[in-house]
Amino acid sequence: MAHEKLQLPLPFERIMERHEREIMGYLLRVSGDRDDAADLFQETWLRAYRAYPRLQPDSDVRPWLYAIAVNLCRNRARDGARRTRVIVADDEALPAAERIARDDGSLNENEGYAAVHMRELISGLPAKQREALHLRYFAGLNYGEIATAMDCSEQGARANVSQAVRKLKSMW
Amino acid sequence: MKIEKIVRSIGSEFLDEGVEELLHRSRDRVDNELKHIRRPEAAVGIVKSPLGDLLVAMSARGIVLNHYLLDASDLAGTIAKLRLALDPVEDPRTIKEVGEEVRRYLAGEPKALRQSIDLTLAASPFQQKVLRKLQEIPRGAVVSYQALGAAAGAPRGARPVGNALHNNPVPIYVPCHRVISSDGRIGGYGGGASRKLQLLRCEGFTLDDADVRLPDKVVWGHTGTRIFCRGNCRTTARVNRARIMFVANPEEARRAGMRPCKICRPA
Repeated sequence: MAHEKLQLPLPFERIMERHEREIMGYLLRVSGDRDDAADLFQETWLRAYRAYPRLQPDSDVRPWLYAIAVNLCRNRARDGARRTRVIVADDEALPAAERIARDDGSLNENEGYAAVHMRELISGLPAKQREALHLRYFAGLNYGEIATAMDCSEQGARANVSQAVRKLKSMW
Repeated sequence: MKIEKIVRSIGSEFLDEGVEELLHRSRDRVDNELKHIRRPEAAVGIVKSPLGDLLVAMSARGIVLNHYLLDASDLAGTIAKLRLALDPVEDPRTIKEVGEEVRRYLAGEPKALRQSIDLTLAASPFQQKVLRKLQEIPRGAVVSYQALGAAAGAPRGARPVGNALHNNPVPIYVPCHRVISSDGRIGGYGGGASRKLQLLRCEGFTLDDADVRLPDKVVWGHTGTRIFCRGNCRTTARVNRARIMFVANPEEARRAGMRPCKICRPA
C-alpha cells in the first residue's frame, strides 16, 4: 500500500527560533519590565514544550503560543495583586508614571508620559479587553488569531478590542 | 494623537538592541530548564516489508514502535500518540534495518530480529508485564490468552491480555501473533488475521490462509516440567491449561529445550 510521505510536525527548536523574538517583544511590552519578561519568557517556552505534543499538527502555532503567554501574564498579574495586597512595597505603591520615570531617564519626556499614562489606563480595563488589546496592538495578531488565542469567537475578539479602544478614548 | 498609535508605541523603547542581549540570556535559561524535561528522541520512518508498510520508531534503547499502517488516517494518529512520550526525528537510515530484518525473518531466518526492544509506549504496568512475559514464548510455539494472563499474574485475565496485545506497540518483535484462543482457534490480530497466519507459518506451523484453528498435530508443551506430549496423551487431561504452550512440531519443542513425554512418545 502506498503512503504519502511521512510528515512530522516541526521540531520544537525550529518553533522557538521562529517565534522567540516576537514573544519576548510581546512580554516586554505587556509587563513593562525586563526581569518579569525574562521570567515569563522562560515559563512560556517550558509550558509550550510540555504542551506541544497535544497541539494538533495542522493548527497554527502563533496564536497557540500567545495563548500560553496571555495566560501566564494573567496569572502573574493575579499573583502580583495578591502579594501587594498583603505587603505594599515602597516601590509598587508609587504610581507607574513616577516609577518608570525614575527607572529610565532616557525616555523622551512627552512621548514617554503619554505612553505611561496610557499604560495606566489600559491596566484599568477589564482583563478580556486588555488582553485583546495587547494581542491586537502589541503582537499584531488579526482577529481570527486573537479569537484562537483567547478561545472566543472572532466577533468577540473584535468587540473586545473596539470596546477597549472606545473606553480609552473616553478616558484620554 | 490617535489612541491606537499611542497604544502601539507603548513599550517600544524596549525593542532596541538591549532585547538581543536579554533574548540571548533567556534562551540559555530556557535551554537549561528544557534539559530536565526533554522527552527522549526517536528516529522515525516508514519501511516497506512483506507484511506491508510499517511505521517504525527507534529510541536509544531499541525499537519502540513498529506499527502496521493499514490506512492513511492511521499515520497521523499514531504519530500523535508517539509524540506524547518521545520527540520524533525523521531518520530513514536508522530504521531501514527493521524492514530488512522483517523480510529476512519471514523468509525463514529464525534469528533475523536483532533489535533490542524498548517498551516505553506500553500504556500500563500490566501491559508491560504481559509483553515481557510474551517475549519468553519461543519461535514455533503459541500460548493462549488465558495462559499468558496466568503467567503475567492475572489467571482470569484473558480479556485484559487481549487488550494489552491489541495495543502492542512493537508487534512482530514482541510476538503477539503467538497468542491464540484457548480452544485452539487462531483468533484475531491487530494487523489483520492474514498477517498472523503468515507469521505463524514462517515459524513452522502448517496453516492455510483459510485455517481458523491450529493444526491437530501440534504438540503440547508444559512450561513447568518442560515435557512435550501429543495432544491426545492421557497426561494432558489433568494438566493445568494455563501452563500449556502449543508447539508447531517436536523439532521446535526440542529446540525450545523440552523433552518428549515417555508415555505418548511424540516423534
